[in-house]
Amino acid sequence: MNQDQIDQYVAGRMGEAEGLAFEEYCLSNPEFARQVEYEQRLKAGLAQVASGSTAEFVRSEHPLRWSLAAAAGLLIAFAAVISIWTSGLHAPAPTIMAAVTGSSPQGDTSLRLALVRGSETAPALPSGLVRVEIVGLFDAGNFYSVALDRREQNQKIDTIATLNDQRPTSPMSLEVMIDSKQLRLGSYSLRVRKQGSGEEALDFGFVKF
Amino acid sequence: MDFIPGGELSRRIRDGDVSAESELIRQFEPGLRVLLRRRTGGDYGLLQDLVQETLLIVIQRLRGEGIDDPQKLAAFAAQTARNLAIASLRKAERQKTDVDSEATDRNADPTQSVDRIASDLEAALAVRALLRELPQARDRLMLKRYYLDDYDKDLICQELDLSEAAFNQALSRARRRFRQILEERGFAKRDLLSLGL
Repeated sequence: MNQDQIDQYVAGRMGEAEGLAFEEYCLSNPEFARQVEYEQRLKAGLAQVASGSTAEFVRSEHPLRWSLAAAAGLLIAFAAVISIWTSGLHAPAPTIMAAVTGSSPQGDTSLRLALVRGSETAPALPSGLVRVEIVGLFDAGNFYSVALDRREQNQKIDTIATLNDQRPTSPMSLEVMIDSKQLRLGSYSLRVRKQGSGEEALDFGFVKF
Repeated sequence: MDFIPGGELSRRIRDGDVSAESELIRQFEPGLRVLLRRRTGGDYGLLQDLVQETLLIVIQRLRGEGIDDPQKLAAFAAQTARNLAIASLRKAERQKTDVDSEATDRNADPTQSVDRIASDLEAALAVRALLRELPQARDRLMLKRYYLDDYDKDLICQELDLSEAAFNQALSRARRRFRQILEERGFAKRDLLSLGL
């Protein structure tokens, strides 16, 4: 595979059979796939910039104006990232939620939470001490934070407990204990974030009846 | 890192080797992102969901019944991703036909919007930085012609009075710099690590 083929694929000019073979090659060659992804992102970024105005492509040089615009853009981006990053990291309430360790009790019941796109019903939290298995893709070598949020009308209104430094139990699951008795009726979500990375958290909703 | 053939990965996962599952994710995730980015129309949230769903299906299948030809694990994963993308598209089309658009606006998923904006913002910021660094308006216009206007290389060279060698050199430089900008800002890492890799 070469740059011409990457160009053809990204531009959508590759034939169907060749496109399928190209995609399978990408799956077998992660570094090549990254190269293709950069190309896809470059095209997407150019489209995004051009969707506002094409002036940036044909502008003459006005260093001060562009510096100010860049600074404003970065400031907005920084504020957005900080806002998303910090929105759930409030005061912990450790008696409600606890880490699962080798000496943890088995729990009265268990609950399995997974992301189901488009699902309109959230699972119900059983009563008692519940062992909650969060199903996703995790890096077993990293720590994760798990925040328990109370929600109303699909919006987070409060973070009532946060556990940091949680290790996944396998590449596909991470477990915590929740004391159902200490939660009032309503909607909740567990927000799982990989620590030390800028990536978005994953939300796993459930309901306490 | 070394690439582990599909047959070996399949066998190790079937035997309960957890590190093989991590290795499968590391190997396949970049390619799945390429494949699904093309089929999710810029919906960053959907892209992430489908990559994750594909990997879960593949791992669960290998843990259980396995696949007919383990040597073709990459092909199996690619086809799984395509099928999920098609199913997702069909579902979206069905929703389009019978949904109350006002109600949809009222109940818009804010998380998905944030994902989408964040994704666009990152790429756009890196492109803006790249465009600022390009000293000549000709180079900026060349990128637009090539990536957005879909002009043929010869036509661009003719319009901008460039030799083919100069065109290739400028394009290659722009690509390298774009990648560097994303890496410097941590955007690339964030994207590539979005599944916990």
